[in-house]
Amino acid sequence: MSTPELVTVTIDGRRAEVAKGTGLVETALQAGVEIPVFCYEPRLGPPIGACRMCLVEIEGMPKLQAGCTLTAQDGMAVRTAATSEKAAEGQNATLEFILVNHPLDCPVCDKGGECPLQDLTFRYGPGNTRMIFPKRTFEKPIPISPTIALDRERCILCYRCTRFSESVAGDGQLVARNRGAQSAIATFEDEPYRAPFSGNVIELCPVGALTSTQYRFEARPWEIQNVPTVCAMCPVGCNVSATTREGKVKRIVSRNHPEVDEGWLCDKGRFAHSHLRAEDRITEPLLRVRRRGFSPIGWDQALDEAERLLRGAGSRIVTALSGSETVEGAYGLARLLRGGLGAHSAVLPEEAGHALDAYRLPLSAIRDAELVVVVGDDPVSERAPIVDLWIRAAQRGGAELVTAGPSGTLLAAPGSAAQVCRDLAAPGSEVGRRLRESARAILIWSGQGGQGGAHLAALARALGFDGKEGCGAFHLPATPNGRGVAAAWAAASDEEAENPEPISLLIVSGDEAASDPNVRALAERAEAVLAITMFHALAVGWADLVLPATSYLERDGTTMNLEGRLQRLRRAVMPPAPDELAWLSQLAERFGIALPPYPALVFEELSPVAFGGLAFGEVGERAALPPRAEAAPLPPLESAPPPPTSDGHYLQLLRYRPLFSGAAVERVPELQFQRPPREVELSADDAERRRISSGDEVSVRSNGTSTALRARLDRRLAPGVVRIAEEHAGDLHALVEVVKA
Amino acid sequence: MSPQPFGSIKGFGVTFKQIFKKPITQQYPEYKRPLYPRFRGRHRLWRHEDGLEKCVGCSLCAAACPADCIRVVAAENTAEHRVSAGERYARIYEINLSRCIFCGYCELACPFDAITLGNEFELSEYSRDDLIYTKDMLLAPPIKRVPVADRELYDTPIPFYKTGS
Ligand code: SF4
Ligand code: SF4
Ligand code: SF4
Ligand code: SF4
Ligand code: FES
Repeated sequence: MSTPELVTVTIDGRRAEVAKGTGLVETALQAGVEIPVFCYEPRLGPPIGACRMCLVEIEGMPKLQAGCTLTAQDGMAVRTAATSEKAAEGQNATLEFILVNHPLDCPVCDKGGECPLQDLTFRYGPGNTRMIFPKRTFEKPIPISPTIALDRERCILCYRCTRFSESVAGDGQLVARNRGAQSAIATFEDEPYRAPFSGNVIELCPVGALTSTQYRFEARPWEIQNVPTVCAMCPVGCNVSATTREGKVKRIVSRNHPEVDEGWLCDKGRFAHSHLRAEDRITEPLLRVRRRGFSPIGWDQALDEAERLLRGAGSRIVTALSGSETVEGAYGLARLLRGGLGAHSAVLPEEAGHALDAYRLPLSAIRDAELVVVVGDDPVSERAPIVDLWIRAAQRGGAELVTAGPSGTLLAAPGSAAQVCRDLAAPGSEVGRRLRESARAILIWSGQGGQGGAHLAALARALGFDGKEGCGAFHLPATPNGRGVAAAWAAASDEEAENPEPISLLIVSGDEAASDPNVRALAERAEAVLAITMFHALAVGWADLVLPATSYLERDGTTMNLEGRLQRLRRAVMPPAPDELAWLSQLAERFGIALPPYPALVFEELSPVAFGGLAFGEVGERAALPPRAEAAPLPPLESAPPPPTSDGHYLQLLRYRPLFSGAAVERVPELQFQRPPREVELSADDAERRRISSGDEVSVRSNGTSTALRARLDRRLAPGVVRIAEEHAGDLHALVEVVKA
Repeated sequence: MSPQPFGSIKGFGVTFKQIFKKPITQQYPEYKRPLYPRFRGRHRLWRHEDGLEKCVGCSLCAAACPADCIRVVAAENTAEHRVSAGERYARIYEINLSRCIFCGYCELACPFDAITLGNEFELSEYSRDDLIYTKDMLLAPPIKRVPVADRELYDTPIPFYKTGS
């Protein structure tokens, strides 16, 4: 890249030297001068100059200019309200106009105390109003979705929300209705705003026009603490602040890590926190009595029971991990089981492998790419939502997106992602050629398949990504901390696992494992089950001893996201029961293992083995990405047998795990509308052949089981494939029949 | 010899002189001195004439309070359950009077004149917990616990700069 031309701008008599084309607001900031703004937000695309808060006087221009729409030019002399009376007057008038119909609801407004309109009025606005007529009123609050309330009286029409919806998230559901003084923010046809990123408009709105229904009237800015932590709901690991009041998490707001999330969060991360207070939360250890009943027991007795189970089983233990544990929690478990009992057998959530570390890039690099290729069966937004936003940003910048999957631009059968990788690497492939030539190409694996990382690494190597700094590859795992858990489990011992037969004890760690059908199947074969879960419903009927689990907002430690970035989790609120590490350390003591109950000490112990001796304190507030690894020899690739394909009558079932699913989301009333409807997606071809149209009730059958679902046509879906969300697919087999009910 | 040989006698003189003066001791609680009208005592929460609470639960009093002794937890009014005039109301309103310094900032901060400080100062209790005043207690008129000898004088205080005593 060529170095940009530097220009000198004078702002209020101070000189700033910036690259040509830098926005005036940033230029002023560099000179230490503030230009106040409402509508300006560079993350939303080009400035639109809607609010006129940023008026400045520019030498040589007769009228005041909207500073946010200008860029730095050489020799420009700018005077802001601080030195120019004209600009100050202009801003004062702007604010007076904005406030003409503003309700001044501050005492009942959730934005009060953290409201830019309040702050800027205080600093630049008129002290009192000349408006003596009755103000305009609207019906309020209008719930534009179960999570967002709209107050049109407070809206200052800055169009931040609609710009977000239209250009950043691309859902286009939030629009400005009518023109001029009649303009109003609305959803299209007054449908609920149902989109995975809708919650971001709450944070974007500079006034209290868009507020969270969950946080409504819950707390005031001076009554809260913000705990900097990271979201552990998906493998992106967005940086968030957990707002707590009186020992409860009240909301989640973004903490903007420019390399990870750029300040955006998905609605799952933003709103799912209320599952901490779910009704069926387990708060004390439970012991199975009789066949299905549970009785709460004290912790001493629980540890006795756990010890008895562990001693009885010896090394014939299998541990099913969720991939949502902290690195320290997983290591604690591994120390106890592997070190103390020699029980090395574990069901790890997913194997990410280290092969991709040689092609590591920050997520923000996707934005700068010119070609993005996504392989795999699942839509990116269901697996790692923020990655979807980065891809959209790349597309806005002119990048081309190629998706190779069952509903992609390159159609590929479900389960054939590994084959797609091989095809792309083959000399004849057109996309492969472009990937090879590009200096800024990104590969993304978004789908099941344990060896995704390795396949992708093989492809990246074949395409000559080694040594190209702008080219990288990402594997989107299914679990938030699968990589960290795998690393921690491996760090505790390097002995080989032998699968015990019969299984004496199955330890189920975490909710994802507890709701995994494969783990349930293992439990059938195990003599006893020890479950560590958060919710009653997940433990009932199959566990012999249940220990309460904690959520990511309730524990300290570290977690590793899909890039391989180690990030710090901080405890926002106290869990209702001691956290995992606390009782693990007591249990370990009974087996003669010294395991400290503090994450910092545990991390110190495992860091030299797993993370090259990184200190706990160095995992900073905005964690850095480790540098690319040396290209290592690739692990041997296994080819799984391809799944059975459609024969025209039977269709291939593609299950996917929607973003809004899982134990936490199920327990958040406000998020129910986001959960997948009971639908089966059909390709146009298959639907036509069966005379099914969108909206028809159909019955999906296979080998004796059948489910009634509503049909939806997806024109992009490959023929011969039907797609059903995991939670509605039940025990359907790989090939299904679809008939009109 | 002490440097002031008659010092003790002088001292006793002062003491003896007091015997012939009128005592200024006031027999509290039988007699209560008049208070200034702006004396700041126990708080009171107010209602509108139609019975709705004036407080909307905005927590501005809690923000202003230097002793951090006000706790407000707000909730939303509904058509069936309307407590205050605005969108929100105080579901919980507590003042910890054992911590209050009676500065009156809460009164100043309130945008709806929902809270004022009254003249009640007899607030002793046997337990600290009893000094946490809940919303119900603050909405009700203060209970007069100590018998007053001269009710009239007490209830309409005459400032002493007028009586000259
Ligand atoms: S948006 Fe800001 S200025 Fe308007 S009522 Fe709310 S707090 Fe007050
Ligand atoms: S709702 Fe908020 S973000 Fe949207 S236009 Fe109005 S003030 Fe701006
Ligand atoms: S994208 Fe993932 S990490 Fe970010 S908020 Fe959503 S669930 Fe959390
Ligand atoms: S009088 Fe002062 S100390 Fe007492 S509650 Fe009010 S603001 Fe707080
Ligand atoms: S910030 Fe410049 S016009 Fe809104």
